[in-house]
Amino acid sequence: MSAEDPNPAATPTPCEDNQGDGRWMSMHNRFVSDSKDKEPDVLFAGDSLVQLMHQFGIWRQLFSPLHCLNFGIGGDGTQHVLWRLSNGELDNISPKVVVLWVGTNNHGHTPEQICGGIMAIVQVIKNKLPHAHTLVLSILPRGKSPNPLRERNARVNELVQEALSSLPHASFFDVDPGFVHTDGSISHQDMYDYLHLTPQGYQAVCEPLHARLKSMLEKPAEN
Amino acid sequence: MSGEELNPAAVAQPVEDVQGDGRWISLHTRFVQECKDAEPDVLFVGDSMVQLMRQYEVWKEFFSPLHALNFGIGGDTTCNVLWRLQNGELENIHPRVVVLWVGTNNHQHTAEQVAGGILAIAQLLTSRLPKAKIVVLGLLPRGERPNPLREKNTAINEFLRSWLPRLGQVQFLDVSGEFIHSDGTIIPRDMFDFLHLTQTGYRTVAKPLSDLLLQILEETSVC
Repeated sequence: MSAEDPNPAATPTPCEDNQGDGRWMSMHNRFVSDSKDKEPDVLFAGDSLVQLMHQFGIWRQLFSPLHCLNFGIGGDGTQHVLWRLSNGELDNISPKVVVLWVGTNNHGHTPEQICGGIMAIVQVIKNKLPHAHTLVLSILPRGKSPNPLRERNARVNELVQEALSSLPHASFFDVDPGFVHTDGSISHQDMYDYLHLTPQGYQAVCEPLHARLKSMLEKPAEN
Repeated sequence: MSGEELNPAAVAQPVEDVQGDGRWISLHTRFVQECKDAEPDVLFVGDSMVQLMRQYEVWKEFFSPLHALNFGIGGDTTCNVLWRLQNGELENIHPRVVVLWVGTNNHQHTAEQVAGGILAIAQLLTSRLPKAKIVVLGLLPRGERPNPLREKNTAINEFLRSWLPRLGQVQFLDVSGEFIHSDGTIIPRDMFDFLHLTQTGYRTVAKPLSDLLLQILEETSVC
């Protein structure tokens, strides 16, 4: 891949309304409106793994007390989150932390491209929210048994962890509690469709994340 | 609808693994195995509207006590559900009631075709499970504001309302009216992405459905 080729994973792209009910844009507009009204200390941005977190008891239990906003949209790839954050969702708010969890839906993109997409989002957050710290969550394994997407996601994690290691305003956080068993399988008790987390799966991911966020929020704000 | 034309929504079709992690087949395989191990009184089958219900408290509250199995897969069309039911998901089980909820993902088909697909599934169920009662759930509205998919789902419900009574064992339950406010909007409190239900939204469906199931189970119980 030549250095001049544009990276589709890092090119801000809104979702086209293929189905006919404009839901993606409705959600984006609502998030923009939330940014005008609310003052979160923590902003969660990403795909369905972020979005669904908001639906279960774990959100009220662990994250509501931290004044969190949830800007997850199911199906989003890095290019979609990049577009949303560049088009109003970061305006008028100054969270101390942005939690970014995206990448698993970037079908057809290479791990390098997906990493590039994630890093592009980290840069947009830095530009718009110079005082925020971005916590990039690892992409989880998926599928009942070993498969190419697990390899892809693991490689993305390696690349992202490396790219973030030199940045003061962002960090990598591994949220996989060990979902893959010794026989290589993922249990439907943790991921009901071998991709999306059950409430039990979320508990295992969110408890360490919550602890990390609490310690970050207790530190004085960066200048 | 002419008898000679094949209704594409009534043609059984598995889901192709385009993403690369084989999750649809993994889920189908698990459901076939569950048919060997379990003896449900109630079987739920359909798309994500069925699948997601399993993850919320409402399932434990209303449907686990009825010895219910959940064979929902997100994204499924009538074609996919038809294929699953013809390929093992009805083997070895004798549920007294089957709840069918599918049709909102049939984007390539007209309202009449989709209703025909749902009818075909109901007919398959009555032929394979002659003693079972079938409850077909009406499609819910979708999208934040009025849009063509709402009109389509309403039209599908109208066809079902008129056709299903011809099948003696089949009942139609439509709670779609509960979700649209006087200004025509659907609110995120009921559908977090204007399609999928929240815990609150599911309660609006679960209560009347549970009442109906209890009534049917009582009427058909052996003394």
